[in-house]
Amino acid sequence: MHHFRTLLWHELRTAFLTWSNWAAAALFLILVGTIHWFAILECSRAPQPWTPVEATFRLFWLPLLCVLPLLTMRSFAEERRQGTLSALLTTTASTAAIVWAKFLSAWITWVVFWLAFLPFPLLTAARLGTPSDTRLGDPATLWGGLCFIVVSGLLHVAIGILCSCLTRSATLAALLTFITLLGLTAAGGAIESLPIESWTWLGWLREPAAHLRTFGHLEDFASGILDSRPLILYLTGTFLCLGLSVIAVEGKE
Amino acid sequence: MAESSPQPKAAVAAESLTKRYGNLVAIEDLTFSVAPGEIVGFLGPNGAGKSTTMRILSGTMAGTSGRAYIWGESVALNPTESKRHMAYMPENNPLPEDLKVEEYLSLRARLKDVDPKEVADRVRKVMEDCDLVRRASGRLIGQLSKGFRQRVGIADALLAKPKVVILDEPTIGLDPHQILGIRDLIRSLRGEMAVLISSHILHEVEQVCDKVVIINRGRLVAQGKTEDLRRELLPDSVFHILSRASLSELSALCLKIEESSTIEKIGEVDGGWNRYQVTMPSQSPARETLAGSLIQAGIPLREIAEQHCGLEDIFIAATRRSPSERSRP
Repeated sequence: MHHFRTLLWHELRTAFLTWSNWAAAALFLILVGTIHWFAILECSRAPQPWTPVEATFRLFWLPLLCVLPLLTMRSFAEERRQGTLSALLTTTASTAAIVWAKFLSAWITWVVFWLAFLPFPLLTAARLGTPSDTRLGDPATLWGGLCFIVVSGLLHVAIGILCSCLTRSATLAALLTFITLLGLTAAGGAIESLPIESWTWLGWLREPAAHLRTFGHLEDFASGILDSRPLILYLTGTFLCLGLSVIAVEGKE
Repeated sequence: MAESSPQPKAAVAAESLTKRYGNLVAIEDLTFSVAPGEIVGFLGPNGAGKSTTMRILSGTMAGTSGRAYIWGESVALNPTESKRHMAYMPENNPLPEDLKVEEYLSLRARLKDVDPKEVADRVRKVMEDCDLVRRASGRLIGQLSKGFRQRVGIADALLAKPKVVILDEPTIGLDPHQILGIRDLIRSLRGEMAVLISSHILHEVEQVCDKVVIINRGRLVAQGKTEDLRRELLPDSVFHILSRASLSELSALCLKIEESSTIEKIGEVDGGWNRYQVTMPSQSPARETLAGSLIQAGIPLREIAEQHCGLEDIFIAATRRSPSERSRP
């Protein structure tokens, strides 16, 4: 991990200065703000079984699919297209350090985006709610939901980085990330909804499907349940994707 | 920065280097070396495998077989150490468009293990050496002209005072003034760093390099000092003579002073003057007495000149012959 800190600092600085990241941040805040706004409107019309904060987090897949690919698509694809990646590899910086620096920079940016969402429910609660009123959102749900974003974001960003390593086209990298994240988010729910019990030969799928239930993980985090299984799933997935990214960078150069 | 380590025999050594892409052979059995402090021109027609070789030497591409060493360190087995001694500027000199020159060079200096306390000084020094201070300082790389971008690439290569500098077409796309500047800069590195430079501008290489390595279709066809290659590849001296004498008259005289010489008429000039070409071995003493003998014999002579065989002629002669014909160094 030679030069990791130098590279991470450079990547964070670049992430902060890149106009496309600012555009992605604007898109993110517009998306999340709109979702939150409509959720508040719905709750104001009639009592709902969910709070606006819960509703916003339940739709986390929307910014995940629309914004996260924009953050990761350029990381390797663009550098490879410009040739700056091979120039970087002529230094003593290790490939692992390069991959991890780009990954952490994108993950921090993703987390910062979600932190920028925090003022929405906090300001709403301050303006419209009362201290004991949890109809606008339970603080536990808010912090639990954020924890889910932080932990699952590791795997989601790692998938984006891996997709960016596989191609020279940033657009193709974004598309690959979109499809993979869509598959990952939908997979658990889709498999769960299948009548697996009636297909005995598919019975073995029941348990893996239970591990992949992304929305279940969100609910667990939001209700304060800290289960080690999703943590292990996201961490091992992250390490696997980053390991494959290192191999892809070394192999392709 | 490249630490002082015992000086190896060869700063760059390629031993039987081979790279294949499936059935396509990019380079095959390539063996050559660059001595410390030496400037070597790496020549070959388009597609000969120059860039592939340079990429393998720089560690950005793996060879299929063979060995490559930079300052005695194996590129494949000890990549970090070999990279510590080496700087590589690729052909199209890729640079990030959205960084300022100083920012980019500072980042590269840190990535090349320059002592953090010395980074600012080193950046200033290479910017001065590459004439970047006046016109490129504080500007985004994306706003620079091709010439200045090349200078930034060379400045980057010199940042960590490497033992070996590999430059792939450093003067491509530059105007004559810029080429002159870069040529002087490269020349100033002689004795300090081993430089392996590929270029299509043969005149350029001839002016700057101590030695040339010529490859064709991925195989070594010649290597050595220009003078040695001239003797090896172009063993004959060619004289152009403008005279009123007849071919037979001139032929008799030439054969008298050098038995193996040949003469042919290559043209006519107004007023009965003819242009002849006399070829004789470069080692022949008649080379020095031909003009005197012609005058002594009373041959009407207006012009006599030995044709200078430049690197261009050597390059053409070398790339024409098959790799198996080359003599081993």
